[in-house]
Parts: sequence; C-alpha cells; structure tokens
Amino acid sequence: MTVVLLGVAAFLLLTLLLALIRIWRGPEAADRMLASQLFGTTGVALLLVLAYAHSWPALMDVALILAVLSVLAVAAFVTRVVRIDREDTAEESGNAESREEPHV
Amino acid sequence: MQPAPASPIATFAARAVMLAVVWWMLTVGDPSAWGFGAVVIALVAALSVLLFPPSIHRLRPLGLLQFMAYFLGHSVIAGVDVARRLLTPSLPIKPGEITLSLRLPEGGPRWLLANTLSLMPGTLSVHLEENQLTVHCLDTSDAIEPGVRQAEFQVARAFGITLDPPEGVRA
Amino acid sequence: MFDGLVIAVQLVLLVAGCVFFALGSLGLFRFPDTLTRIHALTKADNLGLGFIVLALLPLAPSFAAGFKTLLIWVVALAASATSAHLVARAVRGNTSGGPRTEDDDG
Repeated sequence: MTVVLLGVAAFLLLTLLLALIRIWRGPEAADRMLASQLFGTTGVALLLVLAYAHSWPALMDVALILAVLSVLAVAAFVTRVVRIDREDTAEESGNAESREEPHV
Repeated sequence: MQPAPASPIATFAARAVMLAVVWWMLTVGDPSAWGFGAVVIALVAALSVLLFPPSIHRLRPLGLLQFMAYFLGHSVIAGVDVARRLLTPSLPIKPGEITLSLRLPEGGPRWLLANTLSLMPGTLSVHLEENQLTVHCLDTSDAIEPGVRQAEFQVARAFGITLDPPEGVRA
Repeated sequence: MFDGLVIAVQLVLLVAGCVFFALGSLGLFRFPDTLTRIHALTKADNLGLGFIVLALLPLAPSFAAGFKTLLIWVVALAASATSAHLVARAVRGNTSGGPRTEDDDG
C-alpha cells in the first residue's frame, strides 16, 4: 500500500504543479489568490497521503495548520491587495465580517 | 413562537464536551495530554460563552445528521457536475448571477447556508448582505432557485427552525 | 477475503480522488474567468479530498487518528468554502459593471 500511496502523492504533486502554471500566468490578481485555496485542498490531501504512507502522524498536524492558514492568507489578500474592505461602506463590511464568524 | 436561548451553564457544558471531543482527535487519544487539555477546554469554553452568548439557534443532532447526509450526497453531485461540464468538448456553461431573499434568520444559519452553497452543484456564494444573497451560477439555464431553497430548508432543519417547505420540494 | 475487498475499495477511492484533483486543475485552464475557475477548484478538489480521506481511513492506526483525519477534511471544506466566497466577493467588487445578469427565475 505504501508504494500506491507514494504514487498517489506523486500524482497530486503533478496536478499541483500544473495548477501552479495557471497561478503563475494569472492574468488577474484574483487568479493568483486561487493558489492559496489550491494548497488548502491539494496540499492537505498530499500531506495526509504522505502522513499515512510513512506513518508519520506529525504531517497530519501540518495538514491541519495548512488548511487553517490558507484561509488566513486569502483573508489577508482580499483586504490588503484587492481591498474589498474599501469597496463597500465601512460599516456594512464590518457587519458582514462579524456575521461570517462561525460560532459553536 | 421563538424558543428561549439555552442557559449559559448548559451552553458551557455542551461546548466543553464538543471541545473535549476535538481535543481527543487532535491529540490522537494520548492520555498524557488530558491534564493540559482540561485546563484549555475549560478556559476556551468559558471564553466562547462570553464572546458568543447562547443563541436561540442551536444545532439539533437529528437535523444535523440529515443535513450531513444531504451535504455529502450533493457535494458528490457537484463534483460530478463540474467534471461532466469540463469533459464535454463544447464546455456547456453559461455563467451568471442571481440574487435571492433568504428566509433564514441572520447569524449562524445564514452563514452556514452561504458556505454550503459554494460546495453545492452550480452555485457559488458571492455576496451576502442583510437577507439578500447573491449567487454566482455556473449555468443560468439550469433552475438554480429550487436547489438553493432545498439547501435553505436543510439548514433550517439542522438548526430546528421551521420554514414553509418550498414548492416542488419534498419535505 | 475481507482484506482484499477493503484494499480494492481503497484503490478505487484513491484513483477517484486523483481523477477529481486532476479535473480541478484542468478546470483552471478550461474555464474562461476567475469565478468559474473557483467553481471548478472548490467542487472538484473537495470531492477529491473526500475520496482520498475515505481511502485512508482503514489505514488509521487508531480510532482517534481516523477521526482526526475526518476533522482535517471538515476543516479543509470550511476553509475552501470560505476562501471561495472571499475571492469571489473580491473579484465581483473589482469588476463592478462587468458581466452580471439579474436573472430571477423563481
């Protein structure tokens, strides 16, 4: 099974590289932002497969952190680069942000 | 009509149990992690009750299970739908947007619906303001609204909110 | 016999996961604009991740490890949906007056 898992990992790496060509070519900044989302799913899958292939549980923690950080990267990007916070009036975007907080 | 919010103590207990389950998963069941974990769980649960006071919209276990079944089934349909469009040489998409009025109360339920719709077939939540949700559609020649209404109904049931079932959708 | 069946199911799930990840990447090239590319990335990749997580579950060394894998999947789903929404909102805010059809078919 380890060999199969390593094969899957190699394949995922290949799709990640292909997708990175699109990220590199852009053309818009938003297309490049998709890189973060890409690492949030393909990267997580790759790390999980490697964690199981090598029985290296610490990689699962890396996968978890990667998923969480990918959202933060996008959030930073949309507020600093594209400035969606300046697109709307300040108060309504503030409301929207607080409404999007997941609460349990 | 509106149920009262749960008491802070009950909310604290429920959130502490949930955090304990998450802690158990994160530490992969390591018994030596519980001493530290107990302190963290108590502090985080107390802080969460202070920051997010008990809401009248609580997740119901049965409704949540039904929602999860609906979600899993439809995310498979969503993936297959995107795959089918990608592999058809003529690329049958007709992107566009529709804006809908949501019947869900604001807060958690609307947030859950907006995020769910991004993973459902052919829809992507673009903008949520008050109860107006703008959805980007992969193919506007499909009927989008029944799918959104069905997802709305499922979210409402997960939170134990009664909506009138939308026309043409089996309750 | 049972082990063989589990391995066969795992192999099918792994292949399905790889196929959906490949489709997600293909979507980045075939779809014409950012919003439709987000559709492809969000839906195909999350389904791919779901298949791969299911394939890995029988290999989990303990129940807790299996649940942790599922937890990572749920976090990745939420992360992907949130990212998709944020990028989509940024794109639309940027190109106001772009192609939008107010189509109320209800």
